[in-house]
Amino acid sequence: MPRMSFREALNQAMCEEMERDPNVFLMGEEVGHYQGAYKVSQGMLQRFGEKRVIDTPIAECGFVGIGIGAAMVGLRPVVELMTFNFSLVAIDQIINNAAKIRQMSGGQFKIPIVIRGPGGAATMLAAQHSQSLESFFCNTPGLKVVMPSTPADAKGLLKSAIRDDDPVIFIEAELLYSEQGEVPEGEYLIPLGRGDIKRPGTDCTVVAYSKMVRLALEAARRLDKEGISVEVIDPRTLRPLDDELIFESVRKTNRLVVVQEAPPHSSFSGEVIARVQRACFDDLDAPIERVTSLDVPMPYAGHLEAMVLPDVDRVIAAIRRTLYLE
Amino acid sequence: MPVWNIIQAVNDALRVEMRRDPRVVVMGEDVGKFGGVFRATSGLQEEFGVERVFDTPLSEGGIIGTAIGMALYGLRPVPEIQFADFIFPAFDQIVNELAKFRYRSGGEYPCKVVIRTPYGGGIRGGHYHSQSPEAYFAHTPGLKVVIPSNPYDAKGLLIAAIRDEDPVLFLEPKRVYRAARGEVPEGDYTVPLGQAKVVREGQGVTVLCYGAMVHTVMEAVDKQGAAEYDPEVIDLRTLVPLDTEAVLGSVRKTGRVVIVYEAPKTCGYGAELAALIAEKALLHLEAPIARVAGLDTPFPYTLELEYLPSPERIARAIANTARF
Repeated sequence: MPRMSFREALNQAMCEEMERDPNVFLMGEEVGHYQGAYKVSQGMLQRFGEKRVIDTPIAECGFVGIGIGAAMVGLRPVVELMTFNFSLVAIDQIINNAAKIRQMSGGQFKIPIVIRGPGGAATMLAAQHSQSLESFFCNTPGLKVVMPSTPADAKGLLKSAIRDDDPVIFIEAELLYSEQGEVPEGEYLIPLGRGDIKRPGTDCTVVAYSKMVRLALEAARRLDKEGISVEVIDPRTLRPLDDELIFESVRKTNRLVVVQEAPPHSSFSGEVIARVQRACFDDLDAPIERVTSLDVPMPYAGHLEAMVLPDVDRVIAAIRRTLYLE
Repeated sequence: MPVWNIIQAVNDALRVEMRRDPRVVVMGEDVGKFGGVFRATSGLQEEFGVERVFDTPLSEGGIIGTAIGMALYGLRPVPEIQFADFIFPAFDQIVNELAKFRYRSGGEYPCKVVIRTPYGGGIRGGHYHSQSPEAYFAHTPGLKVVIPSNPYDAKGLLIAAIRDEDPVLFLEPKRVYRAARGEVPEGDYTVPLGQAKVVREGQGVTVLCYGAMVHTVMEAVDKQGAAEYDPEVIDLRTLVPLDTEAVLGSVRKTGRVVIVYEAPKTCGYGAELAALIAEKALLHLEAPIARVAGLDTPFPYTLELEYLPSPERIARAIANTARF
C-alpha cells in the first residue's frame, strides 16, 4: 500500500472524486494558483482547470454562501476555508442556511457541500488562529462533522463526505498535514458515522479524535509498560456519532476518559459523557474523566500554550484516576 | 411593589443603569424611536436622547463591532440583537473579538458589553425566530452567559451584567416575556451572576433548567403529577459561570437528575451539566442522568410543540428517573 502524507491523501480524495463526478468542484482562498495555503490542492488547478478549481476573494461568508447555492442547484462543492477560525465569519451561512435548507424545503433541496480546512492549535498562533470549533457544528442539527486522525481515514472519509447529500464540516488538524501513513489506492470509502478502534485494550476506554489520537496512543504505549491496557477509540465522525462502538468498549473496560483539544465547557466531550453515563450507567466503575484545553482563550506564549493544551501526562493521569491509581 | 412582566423588568433595569451611569448606552435595530420590537427599550430614547439610545442599520456584525469599539474606549454598551437567530452574522465579532480582548490585551482592555437578545421557541416563529444558541457562547472562553426566567431575576441579573467586568450574553426567554409576571422592586438591586436558585425544594430528583423551561418544568410538577416524586427544581440563571456547588450539592442529596433544555440535544448545554455530574458526582447517582431537550433537528415550524420539551415529556422523565 502506498505511503503518503495526510495532505496528499486529501488531495487524492478530491482528485478521484472530481474525476468521477463532473459536479464536484473546489473553491476557496488560494486553492488554485497558489496550490493551497497548506498545499492540499497541489496540482489541481493544472489538472482540472479554472472552472473547477476556483480562487475566491477573502470573503468566507460570500463563498460559503455561493457554495450553498451551487449545492442547491445540483453541484457538489468542496469549499476550503484557509482555517476553520475563519468559519466564524461564515457561520450564519452554515448554521442558518446550509444546515436548514434541506428540512425547510421539505427535502426538495439537498445541500451536498463539504466545508473543509485546517483547525486546532498549531504552534504559537494565539487566540484567534488556534481554535477547535467543532462543538459549534456538533450543536447544529442538519450538519455532519468529520475529524480524521490518519491519512487513510482522511481519504476514505473525505470521499464519503463529498458523496454525502448533507452538508459536512470536515476539520483537518493543521499539525497532521505532514503525518505519513499507508493509504489504500482508488475506491476507498469509510462510511460517515463509523468509529474505529485505534488500539484494543481491556482496562480503560479513551475516546479521542483528530490529533488527540496521537496523545491517546502515546499514553496507551507508556501505560502498557505498567501493565495497564488502554483501548483507544477514534469516533472519526463526531456527528452522527458511533456511540454504540464507545458503549461496547465501556461495557468491557468499565472506565472512560474523553480527550479533546477544544475547551471543556458545552463541548463534544460533554456529549460523549452524557451518552455514556446513560447507556452504560451500571457498567461504570469510576467517574468519567475529561482531558481538554483549559477554559481560556489560547495564549500566544509557547510555554502558556503548552500549559493550556492537553498533553500525554494529563491523559495518563486521567486514565490512572479512573483506575484509582492516583 | 409593582407586578411586572419580563419586558417591563428589562426596561426598568436599563433605565436604572442609564440614570446611574452615563457610560451606559443602548443600541440596536429599532430600539430607539420604536422602542424595540418587543418594547423592551420603550421610552428610553425620550428620556436619554438619541446619543445614548440609538437605532442601527440591519447589520449585526456592525452593531456588535461598534459596541466592542465603544467598550474599548470606556463606554458600557448594551446592544440588542432583535432575535438570537440573527446573532450569527455577529458571531466572529463575539467569539474572536469580544470574548478575547480582555485576555489578549493582558487585562488592559476589558470589553464590558452586554448583548441582550430574545431566544427560544414556542411563538410559532419557525426556523429563524426560535433558536436557542446558548451552548455556542457557553463553549467560548471569555464570555459569561445569563438566562433569566422571571421578572425579578431579569432586572437584577441585567443590572449585575451591565456592572460586570466581562462581556455578557444576556438571553431573554421571549415565549414568557409577558406571561411571566411577578413583583419587582423599584430602583437599584442586583442578582449576582453565578448563583443558581432553588425554585422548589425537594428530596427526590434534581431537575436542572433555565429560561422558559423553568415554567414548563413547574407545569410538569404542578399539573402533570411530577410533584409525587418530590423534585428539587433548580433555575441555573447563569450558565457561565455555573453555580457548580448548587448543582452538585443537590445531586449529592437526591442522587437523581433530570436536565431540561430546549436547544438541540446533541452537544447542548445539558450535555455539559451531565458531564459535570458524571465527573464530579457519579458515585452519588442512583440512576442515569436524563436529558429532556429539543429534538436533534432544525427548529420546525408546524411541529414545534413536538420539538420543544413538554410538561408531559418532563414529567415522564422525572417519573422514570425517580423509579429507576
